[in-house]
Amino acid sequence: MIDLEVSIYPKYVTLFGVRLPQSGIIASSVILLLVLGLVVLYFCCIRRFTEKPKGLQNVLELAVESLESFAKGRVGGCARFVAPFALTFIFYVFFTTFVEIFGLPPATEDINCTVALGLCSFVMVNVTSVRFRGVKGRLRNLSTPSAVVFPVKVLADCIAPFSMGIRLFANVLVGGVIMQLIYAVVPLLLPAAISAYFNVLHVGIQTFVFALLFLTYTGEAVEEAE
Amino acid sequence: MTTLGFIAIAAAIAALACGAAAVSMSIATAHSVDAIARQPEAAGKINSSLMFGLIMMETTAVYALLVSILLIFVLGAAV
Repeated sequence: MIDLEVSIYPKYVTLFGVRLPQSGIIASSVILLLVLGLVVLYFCCIRRFTEKPKGLQNVLELAVESLESFAKGRVGGCARFVAPFALTFIFYVFFTTFVEIFGLPPATEDINCTVALGLCSFVMVNVTSVRFRGVKGRLRNLSTPSAVVFPVKVLADCIAPFSMGIRLFANVLVGGVIMQLIYAVVPLLLPAAISAYFNVLHVGIQTFVFALLFLTYTGEAVEEAE
Repeated sequence: MTTLGFIAIAAAIAALACGAAAVSMSIATAHSVDAIARQPEAAGKINSSLMFGLIMMETTAVYALLVSILLIFVLGAAV
């Protein structure tokens, strides 16, 4: 009998007598490291930007520009407003899932974390839409082509964040379960090769998919009504 | 048959949806390749809408896998 450790419930740890969610600790440590890295990057590189880019500045500008042009293809005119949020989602989802490679439990294996991410994207979609099209424009956008579809569109918009959250959670959970099964059956060599897919490439794909879904929903919400 | 056997069969039936998702993905990809062959200049647009469709299909497959995993590990552990 293979002994597997699979649970869909969030795990808790007791630290200094306080019961804390495991995913929260992982996520906040990752965020702390990311912010630290950003501060170092700011003082070492961004403050010394020159008119003629060279070295790391080239890489950073290329990354920002390519993300912005990618966002522009999805959401059109409000790319400058939306792209930073997309990048935040990318960094958060990627690094909180990527920690699995160091043997830590990924924060996105907790359904609270992923549904919270989905709700953040829901808020952002509506804020962007209202900011660029106004409340009237948002309502008109929801009731195109005719007023009959209004309830259906509202329902679809309200389900989207949960669908995003659950799909991310399920993908990460399933990846972990498959890795555990492989470890249990073949404990030598094979897990290393498959881990390259499940802990690096799979994480990248899920991150890309999350950002793409966020941008697509935003693009749908800011679409100009005829 | 024991309860565990029923749970195993239920998990297997739930995982069948993964096959359906695979078939639908193959159909979508085949049609997009067709469309790109016919109109190579529209490759970018076709690719992006294909990606969105593939994500939706993949979500279905993952939901099915999640249901079957829940059946095995949550319901199976309770027996």
